[in-house]
Amino acid sequence: MIETFRSLFAPPRHFILLIAALWVGLSLAEKRSERHGACKEQLNNLTFYALIAYVAGGRLLFALSNLSAFEQSPLSIFSPNPDLFDPSGGLVAALLTALIYGQRQKLQFWGTLDALTPLFAILAIGLHLAHLAAGTAFGSPTTLPWGIDLWNATRHPAQLYELLASLLILGWLWFRKSDSPPGLLFLTFAALTAGARLLLEAFRGDSTLVFGGLRVAQIAAWLTLAVVFFVSETIRQQRKEN
Amino acid sequence: MNSTQRRITYSLILLLGLAWTYISADKTGSSTAGQIPAPQRGFLAPDFELKTLRGETLKLSNLRGQAVLLNLWATWCPPCRAEMPAIEKVYKDYKDQGFVVLAVNMTYQDTFANIAPFVDEYGLTFPILLDETGMVGPLYQLRSLPSSFFIDRDGIIREVVIGGPMAEALLRTRVEEILK
Repeated sequence: MIETFRSLFAPPRHFILLIAALWVGLSLAEKRSERHGACKEQLNNLTFYALIAYVAGGRLLFALSNLSAFEQSPLSIFSPNPDLFDPSGGLVAALLTALIYGQRQKLQFWGTLDALTPLFAILAIGLHLAHLAAGTAFGSPTTLPWGIDLWNATRHPAQLYELLASLLILGWLWFRKSDSPPGLLFLTFAALTAGARLLLEAFRGDSTLVFGGLRVAQIAAWLTLAVVFFVSETIRQQRKEN
Repeated sequence: MNSTQRRITYSLILLLGLAWTYISADKTGSSTAGQIPAPQRGFLAPDFELKTLRGETLKLSNLRGQAVLLNLWATWCPPCRAEMPAIEKVYKDYKDQGFVVLAVNMTYQDTFANIAPFVDEYGLTFPILLDETGMVGPLYQLRSLPSSFFIDRDGIIREVVIGGPMAEALLRTRVEEILK
């Protein structure tokens, strides 16, 4: 079954999964937008502008960091090739654009993030499905009976672990009672996602390592978790004082 | 849960997280550095030996010490045709620095008579290898044409580009990385 799925969505078709996740996620976010005091149209515009900034910013920053290559073939900047892209640069551009749009439209910071949480949760599911299809973010070798054959070894199905965690997170967030102060829905999603990463990164076979084998992703997830706990507590305290 | 209970819970979770990070550290190094041959970034490029269009025999592992672009293609594939001029241009620019292009034609899915005219039409000067038995396709888990594997001087795959055509700038950035 996994092999059929991998054949069906083999790269570059795995991008379909991300686009589908974006569409489904935005639809779900729209459905619950009013509950968080957000307007559907503004939510759509925010996502659209952030997406444009992600694509354009990622390409532009890639070109800037590889100037000599583009000097010899300047038209490559318009190439449809998705590999000419700097994902972290794209993310920075998208965040900046979203912040500017939010300020201009006077959007509530935490309310908007809460409204967008279903989109983030579905995007995480789409990302893990895309990883499964492409065979990236693969697991370390294992002798456990549920190991999958990938890259000439029997490995932990790390993509499936992460997919299952993302589905559970989405389910929990979708069905929980919504009487918490603004921001806590998003922060709960961030805490659960960081917690899942901290736990599941241990089964990955492609981790970036530092300091004698510590996994960078686990350190980043731990720091995220600490920040999220601190901010959640601050929000709760502020609500209590008010 | 009151504020004190929450803070204790948060601290416990963070302590457990620290312990798990330490326990699950990969002290033997990344598992992909185990020199397992597989067509994925970070793995050793699977070895093969094929005949060229000129009748010579070429083995991938004999090219250790050189940076290799392994391009899987066919004459009937439009993106393969579209990226060939850029590959030729980049090959000419970097070959003196130890860059080699191995263009493996999927002969078992192609028409042999079309290959030589194709090579002449685009003025290709790098070796054209013929996969007549369908050995390299499955070895590199070929799912789309063209597929390109950028292999460094140690024989490790550093980048995989599935589909095309590759832009000239992409080729240059990837080639400069594997030449380092």
